[in-house]
Amino acid sequence: MLARWAAMALVLLDTGGVARAAPASRSAASRPAASAPASRASTRPAAPADDLADLQRAMEADRQAGDAARPKAATGFASVLQSLNPDLSLILDIALAGFSDEEPPVTGGHDPQASGFSLQALELAASASVDPYFRFNANLVFSPEGVEVEEVYATTLALPWNLQLRAGQLLTRFGRINATHLHSWVFSDQVLVLGKFFGGDGNRGLGAELSLLMPLPWHVELIATATNAAGEGTARSFLGGSDLGVKGPGDLQYTAAVKQFFALGDNWSLAWGLSGAFGPNATERGNRTEIYGTDLYLKYRPITHGSYTVVSLDAEWMFRRRQVARHRLGPDDVLGDHGFYAYLFWRFTRRWGVAGRYEYVSGVEDDPLDPEWTSLRQRASGNITFWPTEFSRVRLQYDYDRPAWRDPVHALFLAMEIAVGAHGAHAF
Amino acid sequence: MRRVLRDLVGRPRLVLALVLALVLAPAAAVAKLNVVATVPDLAALAREAGGDGVQVTALLLPTQDPHFADARPHLALQLNRAKLVLVVGLGLEAGWLPVLLGGARNPAVQSGSDGYLDASTVATLKEVPRARVDRSMGDIHPGGNPHYLADPENAVRVVRAIAARLAKLDAARAATYRANAERFVTSLRGAQRRWAAELAPYARTPIVAYHRSWIYFAEAMGLRIVEHLEPKPGIPPSAAHVLRVVQLMRASKVPLIVQEEYYPDRTAALVAQKAGARLVVLRGGADVRRGETYLQRIDAMVRQVASALRIARGSR
Repeated sequence: MLARWAAMALVLLDTGGVARAAPASRSAASRPAASAPASRASTRPAAPADDLADLQRAMEADRQAGDAARPKAATGFASVLQSLNPDLSLILDIALAGFSDEEPPVTGGHDPQASGFSLQALELAASASVDPYFRFNANLVFSPEGVEVEEVYATTLALPWNLQLRAGQLLTRFGRINATHLHSWVFSDQVLVLGKFFGGDGNRGLGAELSLLMPLPWHVELIATATNAAGEGTARSFLGGSDLGVKGPGDLQYTAAVKQFFALGDNWSLAWGLSGAFGPNATERGNRTEIYGTDLYLKYRPITHGSYTVVSLDAEWMFRRRQVARHRLGPDDVLGDHGFYAYLFWRFTRRWGVAGRYEYVSGVEDDPLDPEWTSLRQRASGNITFWPTEFSRVRLQYDYDRPAWRDPVHALFLAMEIAVGAHGAHAF
Repeated sequence: MRRVLRDLVGRPRLVLALVLALVLAPAAAVAKLNVVATVPDLAALAREAGGDGVQVTALLLPTQDPHFADARPHLALQLNRAKLVLVVGLGLEAGWLPVLLGGARNPAVQSGSDGYLDASTVATLKEVPRARVDRSMGDIHPGGNPHYLADPENAVRVVRAIAARLAKLDAARAATYRANAERFVTSLRGAQRRWAAELAPYARTPIVAYHRSWIYFAEAMGLRIVEHLEPKPGIPPSAAHVLRVVQLMRASKVPLIVQEEYYPDRTAALVAQKAGARLVVLRGGADVRRGETYLQRIDAMVRQVASALRIARGSR
């Protein structure tokens, strides 16, 4: 990707140089690709094949003459300068939303918040190798509320024993969807359980993560993370908005996960994860919260014959326990609730895909975090997505949201996403 | 069993020897240098250069579109165990390889190290843009067209580069790797004469391709690509563009359409039918799992193309 940018920039600078060095070849230099004009010329049905061949030979000769006069691509100081810049990309997500309720119970920080147009996020992603030992990644999110440092971290590249360390502001790798960004989601809104248990921005914080790739015949990764336990929209089951300060290691959030991957032949993939997050909560000093989860991802993508078909199933279940009063560990003093989501995605042509999702999240009485959310909330969603290319997409989504404590809410989103710049690779 | 255990407890040296044997035995069994190539054609060339001294795997199948592969985690495991990683470069693998290399935890194969070879650095490239490019032109590769392995001359350059890199990583077998590469080049030269003879009757024949992935092959084999079914790289054919292609094919008497099998072939089949041409669906790479070599792959393509052109000429 870096090379792509470097070359792009060089080409930009190079053209000017060429025009000065070899004015005769300017017409050739302005062509995007060698054979394109030939084919354009040949679209005139009257042109006999021989004329076409002559024309093409002449153009090829021109082109080669141009080549001789031109320094080879990717040389010189300008390209070196460009090479050292990070890969940058900008990703814009906007949506037109219609809710059946004036104040819909939205949980996701980047979900459309009310009827009308909304800027879900403008994400600026940057990445680069720091040196042979570290890689740098940053995701800055611009929204009407301001700039948010979603993630910025360094990843080690050369630790021994299959270890890898990440340090900085990072999304914890709890479950499957938490560590991913809005632009790679199959739905245009955050899953309910994530918003309720961690917050509208997902579970993240300043901290460090150590992971180990096990020396086994299949892919097993062990992950341990320590992060600050505070954050209104990022760690609400822990310290949330009320930062009690860190007086000892027990005041941090610890996340542990095991990720396994099984390649079931060439066309099927199965990923299975177990996660746990542990830390203090804000009800009183010494009170703890535990969140456990398991996630499953099953994907069918035929690669043994030509096909654009993708069928995938994502499911995740999370269970939470919170101590709300100290030294009296009676059944009423520990709040337990759980949540689940599952969605099926089917990409049936190169450009079109559909998906359906079901979610439920339980509720408890006297919940200090969600006083209203006292019982079951269910939501069913469906969407259809059109990708003109992998750099743009348009999506129509419908949500039927049924909280038990209020009237159902219908929501319709027409969402668009565009991405420019380096197209970063996506994790599986 | 209990007696055996008791005997072992009394002999720490024997236990140590047994443990060492268990640990080292698999290491000795896989003493071959582990090479991982992103695409099958690179893997086929690595086998030529490495011979018996290397174990080569490809991350992708020949039936897979290298632009849109998944970063399946077990592939990171292959990179974790590799001593040398071969990539096509020019952004072809940008959508998935960085994730795999990042997760591989193998400093020996990260870009910039001896265990990472970007074959595009030694290939002769076509369609290197000379003006500013952007994505309104489709999925342009600013470094040049990345499908260069279909040109046998590039295979020569790449196989020599792989041999040189293997020689650096495994100095004890350096001479063997170089000799392997030269043996391959010699047999390739022979095959090139055969291919030239087979396709000589069709020199300068205009053909149409689906994606811009056949310019190297076509030029090497003396054919001319006059149009693509994709209006721009990576943009699926539109009706208006397809109509223009059909008109062009009729006017220029284009007898052949070529495409990889990983692209949908309904449009191409329809265009071929409307324009009175033949459609040849070619594999995207050598079937290295079944042991297909680079020469066998190019051989098969030349045969497919030549036989289609022969039939097309016969029917006109």
